[in-house]
Amino acid sequence: MKLTRIAAVAASIGLTLGVAGCAPSAVPSSEPIVIGSQAYYSNEIVAEAYALVLEDAGFTVERKFSLGQRDVYVPAIVAGEIDLFPEYTGNLLQFFVPTATETAAEDVYAALSTALPEGLTALAMSPASDQDSYNVTQEFASANGLESIADLATLTDITLGGAPELAERPYGPTGLLAMYGVTVTFEATGDTTVESLVAGIVDMANVYSADPRIQQLGLVTLSDPLGLFLASNVVPIASEAVNADARALIDAVSAAMSAEDLVALNVRSVDEKLSAAVIAREWLVSEGLLD
Amino acid sequence: MFDFTALGAWFSDPENWAGRYGLWNLVAEHLTLTLLAIALASIVAVPIGVAIGHYGRGEFFVVGLGSFSRAIPTMGLLFALVLATGVQLRELSVVLALSAIALPPLLAGAYSGVTTIPAWIRDSATAQGMTTWQLVRHVELPLAAASIIGGFRIAYIQVVSTVVLAPLVGLGGVGFGIIQGLALRNFPQVTASSLVIIMITVAGDRVIGLVQRFAGARLGQSTPLEKS
Repeated sequence: MKLTRIAAVAASIGLTLGVAGCAPSAVPSSEPIVIGSQAYYSNEIVAEAYALVLEDAGFTVERKFSLGQRDVYVPAIVAGEIDLFPEYTGNLLQFFVPTATETAAEDVYAALSTALPEGLTALAMSPASDQDSYNVTQEFASANGLESIADLATLTDITLGGAPELAERPYGPTGLLAMYGVTVTFEATGDTTVESLVAGIVDMANVYSADPRIQQLGLVTLSDPLGLFLASNVVPIASEAVNADARALIDAVSAAMSAEDLVALNVRSVDEKLSAAVIAREWLVSEGLLD
Repeated sequence: MFDFTALGAWFSDPENWAGRYGLWNLVAEHLTLTLLAIALASIVAVPIGVAIGHYGRGEFFVVGLGSFSRAIPTMGLLFALVLATGVQLRELSVVLALSAIALPPLLAGAYSGVTTIPAWIRDSATAQGMTTWQLVRHVELPLAAASIIGGFRIAYIQVVSTVVLAPLVGLGGVGFGIIQGLALRNFPQVTASSLVIIMITVAGDRVIGLVQRFAGARLGQSTPLEKS
């Protein structure tokens, strides 16, 4: 009796030391990789794609989706409660460094890699992006010959609609004036921004570039030749619990996802009301990443 | 946790008080939406509440509406109305959604004010030859005034704290500072806006409370009448 207990204690000490002595790449795959996502359908589809390829390769995965805003989930990632999270380069950089001035995709990615806390890595970013963009209706664009934000400089009385925080963002009214010489009146249209644009309450609206409604309603996205907007590519944020094999699998998913793919996935979610799992699986199969 | 210096700096920055989304404008918009919603609800609720109290029929309606209103998700109602009527009419939708919250307390205040008037008072009024209208106008309304105003007090508190949601559908109000501040992680602004909302809630409640006491003392009883 006594001997068995001593043996058990000795065995458990040995086990603990053994595990602790292992390099991160050799963490046993029985420890699940916890994957998180924002409470945003598009983000959940990407997270689901990560989960599916990892499961297919024999990893154990735990899904913690719909975690709300960055203020809530970033501390959980930093604390190591979540191992893998699909993020957006620009928006996440802005979270860690509110004064960041980088706007080009590569610069933003480099700045983000430096800004991330100890223990977290930005894996390779995807060509797919979901970032702020200024959109006008087709009629407004043709009536005023608009293609780029710079074309707005000749117009007066432009109202810009967007979420309340746009008023203070560097790419908001202040940035428009400083970079393009465009003066706008800001109207906080909140969650009804696209509806307000279509109804003519505002002339121009800030809509995420992967929003299916840009296609569906035939909105015209004005080009941004001077780089007012922060590039925001999809980027997986991984903790040390995600080993090299798992990282290679996630990198393949990121590389395969084009900007058009992301819009198409969002359209399926909005139009066909399919679950993230179904959309992600069918896309992975079509890309040859899953059978 | 609570940074008083940052809070003071936020309040003393004139930038935060001026302009379309400055504090003055937002408070004015907040109060306008609140008062419009209560006014609209009272036009419907007070006459119906008085009538139910007077005739003693339809009490189930007052109780039912009171319970039913607690089951309505206000935010859902707000979005549903805005999407149904279109964004051009969003002011109207928001006022309608808010009046739905104001309706039950106004109705209950008017109803209970009239129904608790002792039978002997009404009987003596009728015995003196008063018509129904005279009874309502000169006896029931003055005696029920304190209770009716009490309904306004509850309605005000509920509506003024719900207007905070209006910025979600593109209107202003002090909730703007909270919603914008959360997104920008500008916590002094969030705290300041919350304090302003608390202040206008308490101040409005006190003002209506004073009116209630004045009306009770002047028109009827400041304490409820004993039934006999």
